Amino acid sequence: MGNFSYLMDGFSTIITGHHILIMIIGVMLGILVGVLPGLGAPNGVSLLLPLTFTMDPISAIILLSCMYWGALFGGSTTSILFNIPGEPSSVATTFDGYPMAKNGQATRALTLAFMSAGIGALAGVIMITLLSTWVAGFALQFSSPEFFAVYFLAFASFIGMSGNAPAKTLVTMMLGFAFATVGMDTISGGLRLTFGIPDLIKGVSFLVAVMGLFGIGELLLTTEEGLRFDGIKARVRIVDVLKALKEMPRYSWSILRSTVIGIWMGITPAGPTAASFMSYGLARRFAKDKSGFGKGDPRGIVSPETADHSAGTAALLPMLALGVPGSATAAVMMGGLMIWGLTPGPMLFIDRPDFVWGLIASMYLGNVVAVVLVLATVPIYASILRVPFSIVGPVIVAIIFSGAYQIANSTFDMWLVLGFGVLGYLFKKLDYPIAPLVLAMVLGDKAEDAFRQSMLMSNGSLSIFWSNPLVTGIMALGLLMLLWPVFANAVGVRNLRRRAAGHSAKV
Amino acid sequence: MADLQKGYVSRRTMEIVTTFLTGGAGIAICTASWRSGVGWSDTGPEAGYFPFIVGSLVILGSMVTLLRSLFFYNHEGEVFLDIERAKPVLGFFLPIVAFIIISLLLGLYVGTALYIFGSMKWQGGYRWWISACAALAVSALFYLVFEIGFQVPLLKGPIEAWLGIY
Repeated sequence: MGNFSYLMDGFSTIITGHHILIMIIGVMLGILVGVLPGLGAPNGVSLLLPLTFTMDPISAIILLSCMYWGALFGGSTTSILFNIPGEPSSVATTFDGYPMAKNGQATRALTLAFMSAGIGALAGVIMITLLSTWVAGFALQFSSPEFFAVYFLAFASFIGMSGNAPAKTLVTMMLGFAFATVGMDTISGGLRLTFGIPDLIKGVSFLVAVMGLFGIGELLLTTEEGLRFDGIKARVRIVDVLKALKEMPRYSWSILRSTVIGIWMGITPAGPTAASFMSYGLARRFAKDKSGFGKGDPRGIVSPETADHSAGTAALLPMLALGVPGSATAAVMMGGLMIWGLTPGPMLFIDRPDFVWGLIASMYLGNVVAVVLVLATVPIYASILRVPFSIVGPVIVAIIFSGAYQIANSTFDMWLVLGFGVLGYLFKKLDYPIAPLVLAMVLGDKAEDAFRQSMLMSNGSLSIFWSNPLVTGIMALGLLMLLWPVFANAVGVRNLRRRAAGHSAKV
Repeated sequence: MADLQKGYVSRRTMEIVTTFLTGGAGIAICTASWRSGVGWSDTGPEAGYFPFIVGSLVILGSMVTLLRSLFFYNHEGEVFLDIERAKPVLGFFLPIVAFIIISLLLGLYVGTALYIFGSMKWQGGYRWWISACAALAVSALFYLVFEIGFQVPLLKGPIEAWLGIY
């Protein structure tokens, strides 16, 4: 068990007062951004990223990843107490979490949610521990064509899994690639797509895009919908927590099923949101007595939460081992790794095992810390949401623009954030998916390099993508994912997907 | 547009307008990369090779979406935005624009303080001294966190220079 000893090394790296303090700060900030409207996990991690440039990479990744866990937990808190999903991936938790809390069982709902989320996350980390070396070792055989094929697979499955409007996914994804190419071309040194604007020479940072699309765009939507916080008073009593813990084993079957769904959806870039909806849908379908669903059925809380968190964690496996992030937040973190001078992918496991295993060890510890902290601090965070939006809104806006300025000390970036904000508002209202755009912006350069190097190897012939069994296999899988809607229609899986889409439309 | 007289913009109109926007962006990407060269040079594919494909796919996706909105539209009768809802959105958006302009002139700390003061005073309806205290507190907190805690400077203006905070 080589992985096990690596993991122990990782634990010895991270169990220091300094790193545990960072973990706690990360989780607390994460819960905060998860709770606040307009600040989600991708946006929170983007805001924090410029502040980590001076830190050492291990502390920095612990801070960012713990913020991610915290944000996932914070999102569930508002879903249950306020019926407002703090994160898109916790929408499914509102269906049964809020009704249960409304029936006076807020503590039970929160405990069930946090515990199942914690179990889901731990399952995801265990999967990463067991598989990461194997996947990275497998990826060591890759050269440029294979890497391009993996990117193709990732993006093709986005289009194939996008449900009702694959063309919209294609548009946002390709716009993301286009934004990534703006500025200096790394190979020829020439300027591209700058349209004569000097501020564009340095390129468009993906952080600017995330802050605008997720931050300002989300806030504009929030103001439009009008904020009604009919929150439920949350007092966490230990007795209720223990009672809820005792009933957990009853849902082990739901948890197991949701873990499998979550891990699968996390590794493929379908992401936590799709995972939680699918898991909720399946829990309902397989339940003998469906009458409780929508009125506070515990299985309706446990299932989406487990899947959400196992997908969120599992999304880090392809990011670390292949350099292909499985969710928008993982994409932002991967951008961070590249800024710190680390190249995600199989070589990272050889060059910086201390970093990789430190991160994996911190995921075990961070999730435990997060469960404890979130239970202990729920009342505090719930009271933050009672602060009127006329104060919270402007403070969030000011934080976003300060963060945007810090990326490159550029005032032009502030206007870009505003532009991306309007774009995000428009796209969200018209159901254009935003995660593919962010993913494409982060991966753009790497995908282009892989493509150009492949073309160089083959002198411009696309046949290189069918030149050996490995690359052919990945490309074929990618094409299968791309054409998935056609197959799914034939088999009839589509109905399920449509039902999940119907759920999301309610919000 | 006929919609505007009814006091709202329909979703269909916006769907079509957006496809023109994205399609236009696609054309801009294609022409700009055409100028960078989309062919093959001694060092391999030229700089515009990849973006040209990307731009073409943006145009393709926009055209499909346009055709879908015209002929296979499944959000019939949905409203994109009416005047009732546009008001709060603009009421939130325009102060942000003002905030950016003020921040560019006076620095982010002063801009933040004025923006929060203004929002609380005129949108939240708070008394002026409560708003002023909150605004100063937020700016001071930013200073502590960014400038001292993480040692990343924010944009400063003439007032900080005059106070000697640099």
